[in-house]
Amino acid sequence: MNLAQVLNGLALGALLMILSSGLALIYGLRGVMNFSHGALYMLGAYFAYEATNQGLSFWLALIVAPLGLAIVGAALELGFFRRLQRRSHIEVGLVTFGIALVINRVIVLIWGDDTHPVSAPKAVDGTTNVFGTDYPTYRLLIIVVALAMAAALVLWLRNSRVGLHIRAASHDTETSGILGINVDRVSLVVVCLGGALAGLAGTLAAPYFAVSPGMGQSILITVLIVVVVGGIGSVGGAMAAALLLGLVQIMGNVWLPSAAVLVPYALLIVVLLWRPTGIAGKRV
Amino acid sequence: MSSVPTAVQTDDPTVVPKPDDGGRGMLDSRVSVGLQRRVVLRGLIVAAVVLVAGLFVPDLITSSYYMGVAADGVVLGIMAIGIGFLANRSGLISLGHTAFYGGSAYGLAIATTHWGWSPTSAALFAIVGGTLLAVAIGALVIRSTGFGFLMLTLAFGQALYAVSTLTSVRSVTGAFDGISVTYPSDSTTFLGLSQADLGQPDTFWPLAWICLVVVAFALWLVGRSRFGVTLEAIRENEERARFSGYNTYLPRLGAFAISGACASIAGVLFALKASYVSPDVLGFQLAGDSLIATIVGGFTILIGPAIGAVLYIYAQGKFGDTGNLELYMGLALIVAVIFLPGGVTGWVVEQLRRLRTLTAGRKEARRS
Repeated sequence: MNLAQVLNGLALGALLMILSSGLALIYGLRGVMNFSHGALYMLGAYFAYEATNQGLSFWLALIVAPLGLAIVGAALELGFFRRLQRRSHIEVGLVTFGIALVINRVIVLIWGDDTHPVSAPKAVDGTTNVFGTDYPTYRLLIIVVALAMAAALVLWLRNSRVGLHIRAASHDTETSGILGINVDRVSLVVVCLGGALAGLAGTLAAPYFAVSPGMGQSILITVLIVVVVGGIGSVGGAMAAALLLGLVQIMGNVWLPSAAVLVPYALLIVVLLWRPTGIAGKRV
Repeated sequence: MSSVPTAVQTDDPTVVPKPDDGGRGMLDSRVSVGLQRRVVLRGLIVAAVVLVAGLFVPDLITSSYYMGVAADGVVLGIMAIGIGFLANRSGLISLGHTAFYGGSAYGLAIATTHWGWSPTSAALFAIVGGTLLAVAIGALVIRSTGFGFLMLTLAFGQALYAVSTLTSVRSVTGAFDGISVTYPSDSTTFLGLSQADLGQPDTFWPLAWICLVVVAFALWLVGRSRFGVTLEAIRENEERARFSGYNTYLPRLGAFAISGACASIAGVLFALKASYVSPDVLGFQLAGDSLIATIVGGFTILIGPAIGAVLYIYAQGKFGDTGNLELYMGLALIVAVIFLPGGVTGWVVEQLRRLRTLTAGRKEARRS
């Protein structure tokens, strides 16, 4: 296993990290596993495709697409999560499953069935020499952006007032409501942020994997596994599990190419048997 | 279905024995199973009437297209009522029943095609194998609830999908190409039905219909038995049931295994009818669609999911070509969950009940 493969694993893990931290945040606050997260990610990728197609630069798309997804997130929160907050969480989860199906189809109706390539910006299109290995610069960018995002998110959650409110509301919605935290507003922030993170992941993935209608569903299952392995609802656990899964997946590709698709499932089963509560110790 | 535990036993000596086990439990079968003979008899009569009446469906539906819809709907319906049973009795929503459906379909295809078994013994093997798979997977996932359970069952189902598509098992499963079911010789039959008969909706229908009615009746019995009541107690409050001295693990595992057995039966029927099995039977699409059929049909009523399954197959034929099926499925799921908590059948029953109280109220008013 050489350095390039490790970096590939990190790049995949970085995308999973962005996605799963948004998912874990929403789960922490609303208690709902958002099955439309894969569809939001795909929507982000298509927004990026559309933006670059309209002549915007990729860097601008990196801002526009997450903003667009934040608006979609706000619609989800106001239209579904808030209205259905008295319903059982599993029912709301099923609604998000339906939303995912609708978004998937709407995307195909708008942009068609084809796979669309999105080119990386010129500045990061080449390769960079990393300790003697030539490695695509764009994938390094993914890693850097994801790590920066993770650090910013953790710092923000730990140190800002809103972060404090989010942590409090995730811990105990009712009590924090009694103590004067506007849980609905906190939830709006979190779901918008979760959507924006999905959009960011989608935009970053667009030049990496190209944009196609099946991309949301295939990554959704992996992200769900990441969240379970990390310990449902734990942002830190999800981030750690994402990087772990990315690396393990690439190791599987190198050492067991014929069975590499099974690696995430094997990881899930091992973690379940060895530590049923996930890395962060929250009960599944 | 005879392996249904009649009462919940526990080996743990610290657990207080249940009060009504003392003395009579073992001898009086009515107490230990919790079923009254009169109720069972009445159910049996209803089931027999429905069974016989359903056999005349091919005479009513002359169009072979709609007969195909009905047959496919019934096959999927058997899996759906299994999923619905688990959801209703245990409150567990599964996205992984494709593992047992597809697993048993592959079991039948592999046993007949590669091992040269007769379709009858292959079908038995596949159903037993699918059920054992449900026990094995259930043992791992049944402790979790809610989203944990949903995601774990999904992961196991998708893991099996990934296995079926591996190139290293191409000689067995055919990978993405799938596998055609080939009987050992042209004269071999499944319970008197040749491969061509099984492929025809109207000759296949009696087999599927009998399976559906038998499965539904068995689930009804299980639900009314002491085992079913124990399941409900666990669903309502697992902790309290445990503190009351019930083993809460085995009944849940039992419910999962029963529900997996339903999916296995459906998978075998599918493989017999289609004579072709591809990784689609293990896919995410089927996992989601069968769950949506279950929910839209409504699982508060035992046969609701089967009706949902027939509706789904009808919609598949109508919208599948344009590709908008997914859109309508998503919308139907959203509407059903938000506005029709009991699904279509639950809504109909609710309206009937309202109508009955209305007319009863009017009669009352007229009398006074």
